Amino acid sequence: MSTERNAAVDLPADGLVAVVKADCPTCRLVEPVLAALPQVTVFTQDDPGFPAGIRDRRDDTALDTSLALEVETVPTLVRFAGGRETGRIVGWLREEWQEFTGVGGLGADLPEYRPGCGSRTLDPDMAEELLVRTRGGSLRSRRLEIAALEDEVEALYDRGFSDGLPVVPPTPARVLRMLDGTSRRPDEVVAVVPPNLVEATVEKVAINAVLAGCRPEYLPVVLAAVEAACTDEFNAHGLLATTWGAGPALCVNGPIRAEIGMNWAGNALGQGNRANSTIGRALQLVIRNVGGGRPQEVDRAALGHPGKLGFCFAEDEEGSPFEPLAQSRGVPAGRSAVTVFAAEGPRGLADQISRTPESLARSLAQGLRSVCHWKLPGGFDASLVLCPEHGRTFREAGWDRARLHRELDELLLLDRAEITRGAGGIAEGVPAGGSARPIPKFRPGGYMIMHAGGGAGMFSAIVGGWAGGPGGSAPVTREVDPWR
Amino acid sequence: MHDFAALEGRGVIAAFLASTQFVVAASAQARALGYREVPAVFVPHPIQDRTDSEVRALADAALAEIIAAVTRSGQGRR
Repeated sequence: MSTERNAAVDLPADGLVAVVKADCPTCRLVEPVLAALPQVTVFTQDDPGFPAGIRDRRDDTALDTSLALEVETVPTLVRFAGGRETGRIVGWLREEWQEFTGVGGLGADLPEYRPGCGSRTLDPDMAEELLVRTRGGSLRSRRLEIAALEDEVEALYDRGFSDGLPVVPPTPARVLRMLDGTSRRPDEVVAVVPPNLVEATVEKVAINAVLAGCRPEYLPVVLAAVEAACTDEFNAHGLLATTWGAGPALCVNGPIRAEIGMNWAGNALGQGNRANSTIGRALQLVIRNVGGGRPQEVDRAALGHPGKLGFCFAEDEEGSPFEPLAQSRGVPAGRSAVTVFAAEGPRGLADQISRTPESLARSLAQGLRSVCHWKLPGGFDASLVLCPEHGRTFREAGWDRARLHRELDELLLLDRAEITRGAGGIAEGVPAGGSARPIPKFRPGGYMIMHAGGGAGMFSAIVGGWAGGPGGSAPVTREVDPWR
Repeated sequence: MHDFAALEGRGVIAAFLASTQFVVAASAQARALGYREVPAVFVPHPIQDRTDSEVRALADAALAEIIAAVTRSGQGRR
């Protein structure tokens, strides 16, 4: 409730103010009561000629006064004294009106009680206009003027804001609604976005979340993803500029997965879930539209892959044989987090025969070994998305994530004779000479293991990454809750 | 190109060096960093599969152009 007169609207310093609309039966009922009050200023929300018989009747069809008074119900009767609101009543209750106005015998022939109606400021068809009118001033981004005959979606294509698929026009109302998804201020800087090193504010991220098709409740995940991707460790600039085809992928952990309806079950890495599809896309649109990272400009990928439109999924924590990925990376249990990592498109790995963890681990190691090149060790990172039916084998054997990593590390020691340049008739490989000791396929910490997917199908996925570590890219995890 | 800008910002004379496949990327990044012109030398593509001696030959062939780029009056113009 507003307690002080708003300077922008003209309200009396002392006396009674009523807010009504002709469309409200209760307001029409109290029309003679208002006329009988010795002194009242009546603001009318719809018909400037209503109510009749009022000396000081004012047109509030623009709803400025109703908004300033934060009127939710009509009729509303407000008392001012010395420029401050000292009381308010809503609807019609004869005794209450008599007491509030100090006028006896008011509405003696009316029913004793009638509830009020909703203020026009709460009409759904007014919501968008009022949202922009009341909060649009908080937006700082340049406004694009779209001509009346222009198609909005086509106009956004023409101006280069699209990744190739249609985008949702980021109208001020949509951006403001998106910003309701976070408590952070629109002008707060989230990150400096490569390649052009442009500051991304919460507002800019929200605009791209709208473009991508996100709902407001996804915004904290998008903000955390942008924060994670724009770190030196993740090195989004290098990942963008490399001729290798990987792009940023996101794995979401914690309660927010269910709160926003993400998919970690069947087709977890695929299409069909709005949160999965649009959160990853929003991150890529931030890199494109804020950072200036566009294909065939600074994005030098020789091939790329379809997941560069957006690659985001949730981990199946409930069905996992392991602790959640985020927890294994230092996030406290029960907290929501997003992990960004360099990713090619996922490739299926079938093993429908192995019944022991040892045998299955060997299959998985074979798949992981193929990342980048079967003969190249040490350079590229990777991820393994373990499907539930493969996860079951490790759960039943009592293997935790650390055990599986240890076993895979052992299996991924490459025999130098197999990987030397020229070996197997393939010129690619490591230079001859040096130590005869086996060489690890991955750098320490160079591959992650996640758990997701449908309950049927002994098909896990190998997701190749990019050059790992300094000069390349390392996965980065950030908590989501600070961005709510 | 960011390295070029960082070096130039510290008063270190620099030039941008890449293979011919990166002409467009260099131009886009230079524009984004506010440069109208950057002293740049592009050597023939590819790079990745070159032997050490081939890379040395590329460097030798580009040397005169690189020296010219770093000694030309007026470095990167914004």
